[in-house]
Amino acid sequence: MDVTIKISSLFRRFTNGQEFVKVTGNNPIECLHELEARFPKMKRWLYDKQGNLRPQVWFFVNGQKISADDLTKPMNDGDELFFLLAISGG
Amino acid sequence: MLSKRELARYERQILIPGWSKSGQEKLKKAKVLVAGAGGLGSAILTYLAVAGVGRIKIIDGDKVELSNLNRQVLHSDKDIGRNKVDSAKEKLEALNLDIKVEAIKETITEDNVFELVEDYPIVDAMDNLPTRFLLNRAALRSNLPLFHGAVYGFEGRVTTIIPGKTSCLRCLYQGVLPGKIPVVGVTPAVIGCIQATEVIKYFLGIGELLTDRLLIYDGLSMKFSEVGLKKDPNCCECK
Repeated sequence: MDVTIKISSLFRRFTNGQEFVKVTGNNPIECLHELEARFPKMKRWLYDKQGNLRPQVWFFVNGQKISADDLTKPMNDGDELFFLLAISGG
Repeated sequence: MLSKRELARYERQILIPGWSKSGQEKLKKAKVLVAGAGGLGSAILTYLAVAGVGRIKIIDGDKVELSNLNRQVLHSDKDIGRNKVDSAKEKLEALNLDIKVEAIKETITEDNVFELVEDYPIVDAMDNLPTRFLLNRAALRSNLPLFHGAVYGFEGRVTTIIPGKTSCLRCLYQGVLPGKIPVVGVTPAVIGCIQATEVIKYFLGIGELLTDRLLIYDGLSMKFSEVGLKKDPNCCECK
């Protein structure tokens, strides 16, 4: 499936400033893997030392938050995937 | 009843459709707790005070430090070493003599959060997740709205939580990255003002709140975007 990944400002430094990156993937996690393959420096922010996806990363498909269980659910052509890092400054 | 002085002070906002004198009366009778008198808190407290929210309770356990002053605009060089709540109360009372400000120098803990919150709507202007979770719990168990905001660098997020109706903070957060948080003053200024806007709308009963909506501010691209939130069916706090 052709999916557009929207890149939040915190990750844009890893994508050469690109706010939207087009990838191909059947589900959110496949799309993320393709993105990481192209921009490997972001992996440190996405995964812990054991290689597990950090729970602080939030995923949204077509503007709606999805849970960890939904990361392997099929996506459709033209879908938008967005991920954010949880922040807590005040 | 609004005094002549109050009618003059709030004249311009009373003109806003849906506000009127009755709306200003609602604000005068309202009370709110702002947890944190830092970056977010400075903007939130300032604009709630000048809008005329009648009673504002500020809770913060910290003292003013030099490194605060790039963003915590309620405090200045001469306040370094002072309790933030005392510095904040002084500035707010100078801004608006017609409101009551209560300053509580306390660190919010599991043992005192319910006593501190009482029955006040809560504005989350904290800088750490554990305390935010305590406020979330107090909001849920006491059926109080929680106006949440968070910042990092040029990015900020806002959502409004209404117990029983929306997702809660625990539905959303499962931790944050550790370490010092980079932040420039304009970011908590924007986010704090949005939180204050939500509070004002809540008390007036106008507009649409950011319920189950996460507003995302990206100062670098200067864009706002929004995503939908939903309850986590397995949430340990609100399920």
